[in-house]
Amino acid sequence: MSSELIVFLILAAVGVLSGILMITRPNPVNSALFLILNFMALAGLYITLHAQFVAIIQILVYAGAIMVLVLFVIMLLNLEDEEPLREQMSKRHYGSLLVALLALVLIVQVIGWNSGGTLETMREQSPHALRIGTVEHIGSVLFTEHVYPFELTSILLLAAIVGAIVMAKKRFP
Amino acid sequence: MVPIHYYLILSAVMFITGVVGVLTRRNAIIIFMCIELMLNSVNLTFVAFSAYLGNETGQMFVFFIMAVAAAEAAVGLAIVIALFRNRQTVNINDVNILRW
Amino acid sequence: MIEIIFESIPSFWPEITLSLTFVISMIVEFIVGGKGKKSTGMTTGLIVLLGFTVTILQMPFQDLEPRLLFGTMITLDPFAAFFKYLIVAAGIIVIVFSMQSHEVRRQETVGEFFCFIAAMTFGMFLMAGASNLLMIYLSIELVSLSSYILAGFSKKLKRSGEAALKYVLFGGAASGVMLYGMSLLYGLTGALDIYSIQSTLAAGMVVDVHDWSFVVLMLSIIMILVGFGYKISAVPFHFWTPDVYEGAPVSVTAYLSVASKAAGFAVMVRFFYVAFFDSVLDLGKWGSLPLVDWNMIIALLSVLTMTLGNVVAIWQDNLKRMLAYSSIAHAGYIMMGLVVMSDLGLTAMLAYFVIYFFMNLGAFYIVMSVADRIGSEHIDDYRGLGKRAPVIGVGFSIFLVSLTGLPPLAGFIGKWMLFSAVIEAHYIWLAVIGVLNSAISLYYYARVFRNMYLREPLNGDESPITFSPLVIVITILFIIPNIIFGVYFGPLISYAQRSVELFLQ
Repeated sequence: MSSELIVFLILAAVGVLSGILMITRPNPVNSALFLILNFMALAGLYITLHAQFVAIIQILVYAGAIMVLVLFVIMLLNLEDEEPLREQMSKRHYGSLLVALLALVLIVQVIGWNSGGTLETMREQSPHALRIGTVEHIGSVLFTEHVYPFELTSILLLAAIVGAIVMAKKRFP
Repeated sequence: MVPIHYYLILSAVMFITGVVGVLTRRNAIIIFMCIELMLNSVNLTFVAFSAYLGNETGQMFVFFIMAVAAAEAAVGLAIVIALFRNRQTVNINDVNILRW
Repeated sequence: MIEIIFESIPSFWPEITLSLTFVISMIVEFIVGGKGKKSTGMTTGLIVLLGFTVTILQMPFQDLEPRLLFGTMITLDPFAAFFKYLIVAAGIIVIVFSMQSHEVRRQETVGEFFCFIAAMTFGMFLMAGASNLLMIYLSIELVSLSSYILAGFSKKLKRSGEAALKYVLFGGAASGVMLYGMSLLYGLTGALDIYSIQSTLAAGMVVDVHDWSFVVLMLSIIMILVGFGYKISAVPFHFWTPDVYEGAPVSVTAYLSVASKAAGFAVMVRFFYVAFFDSVLDLGKWGSLPLVDWNMIIALLSVLTMTLGNVVAIWQDNLKRMLAYSSIAHAGYIMMGLVVMSDLGLTAMLAYFVIYFFMNLGAFYIVMSVADRIGSEHIDDYRGLGKRAPVIGVGFSIFLVSLTGLPPLAGFIGKWMLFSAVIEAHYIWLAVIGVLNSAISLYYYARVFRNMYLREPLNGDESPITFSPLVIVITILFIIPNIIFGVYFGPLISYAQRSVELFLQ
């Protein structure tokens, strides 16, 4: 087994386990912390894919900003534990079963890619992979080809910021 | 080398975990976190394809997904706070005046 | 690279005006509505209205020669222009509605309300022209984010906060599924713009039909369809629609049901038409995707959507909720035009949108005015309305008859075009189901007529309800097109025919 595969397997195991723990913990704070662990594992996976900049942004934006906001809101609202999943399972049994089945099909199909097609060629990372993850390359592409979506994001964020204030603020005295 | 299938299967598993969470959990904030998990598995697929295809547009998409996810989390949590002020709950089972 | 940006800007003025409208109205609201000052928000509303008017005046001067802007991000063609006219006209009308609506004016943040209408309109403009998966995603999200906020705008009402929460959770999950589909499609084709996707798929290099990657392609398309289906509220992705339409302020509901749906259809048609049609070989069939009969899948979705919408509407006592289900049913009718993606089907679809615009906005306007006056949307409170407020009663009847699709009103022409388009393509059973559905819809619309004209008012109060002259004038302005397009529809159809031209590479 190559060292790359070992690193991948460790990170993947952490990612999957933390994801499963995230959706099963009754306490929202625990869930949020497991989600942060999941994001860390993903950041590691991005490094193995030579996407350094994405990995850093993953930590800074996702774990650092979004999850802090989520944790802040959980603490602000002082939420109690949800009733354990076991007790509500009867109602949602069928939905979950269906989803699990769908999941199985999906994964089998993805594995099926082994049997041929375009993805047969994707055994190794492209030689360009080393180049495209750098800040330099990303910056040059972001501000040329993708400059319009980038500008649009600023409008979107402005709308979101004002919207969040409008929704969350209390009435004026 | 690690073939791309490994990454794809991992992201599929994580995506399904997120979907199951959205369907089974009742706490609105946890549902938001499950949606974040779904978006992250999408990001993993994009980055993996980007590296294996040697094409940077996939990574570009990831940045935009992150920006939108941040915006959506802010708006969504603000809505949760507004609802909590009104109803003292974030459990979506208690939120059911409107039914068909 | 930078030249492309400068070359694109002259073709992009309407969008630039709209984004400026959004930003300027935000700044003005910040100054006018500062802390401690009493603001009615009307200044902001007028600025947004002015911005929309400038936008609509700029559009006829645009050169509509089909072309791509900002690389492959946005396409400009007559098809996009058609939807942009529809969207900005709906925007102007909705601003006028909202300025009258008591429900909106009661809020402390009326000013921001208008800003978000501007943001939403801008997002829908981009949706109409988006030709890159990235732009499709971003524009859908801009529209969604603004509509989450608008849906929850009446913060004091419990149902409003609930509507916003359901909307944001459902929207987030649906866009997550759509993104997963997009990521798989990107992996298979290596491109994000729909023109490259088309050429890669048409070359047949990537996807071998006998191979698992074909299944993955199908999976990705179905997942993308979830995102679009949520936007146009097609069954089975409609669960948010009744709640959001009932919980949101009426003017927002009207905007969501007309403009947001139109934009959703625009982006859906462009995506499927450009990416999966082998336009050379066999028009109307999904050339790039053999084996699966996609026309049949869309046809089944359409049947499900219209039947569920109409059947559930029968039990609704709240008129807003009834109109919500009726608008789900109308999405089903419109999807019939998508089943046969021939020019005929698309023409019928576009013409139907224009007619739907007048009849649905009119119906919502009446519901809004009546709710402002008597404080209720319940069907029992409409008893005797026909006698107590004759113009409103007649207007509402006309809009509902038009929505049913009975001659000689405009709705009939719309339905007739859709049905003839599907019959032309030998989907006779689909047309039959459509007609049956119109019959079902007559049943619940007739309940409203019966309450308005044949039943006594609830507490025996027969005194006339007076509406301001403005309400009467606006109602009449909506009645006129509903009658005119019913008898004189030539120009409408020829305009729709001219607008079917989509940009193909």
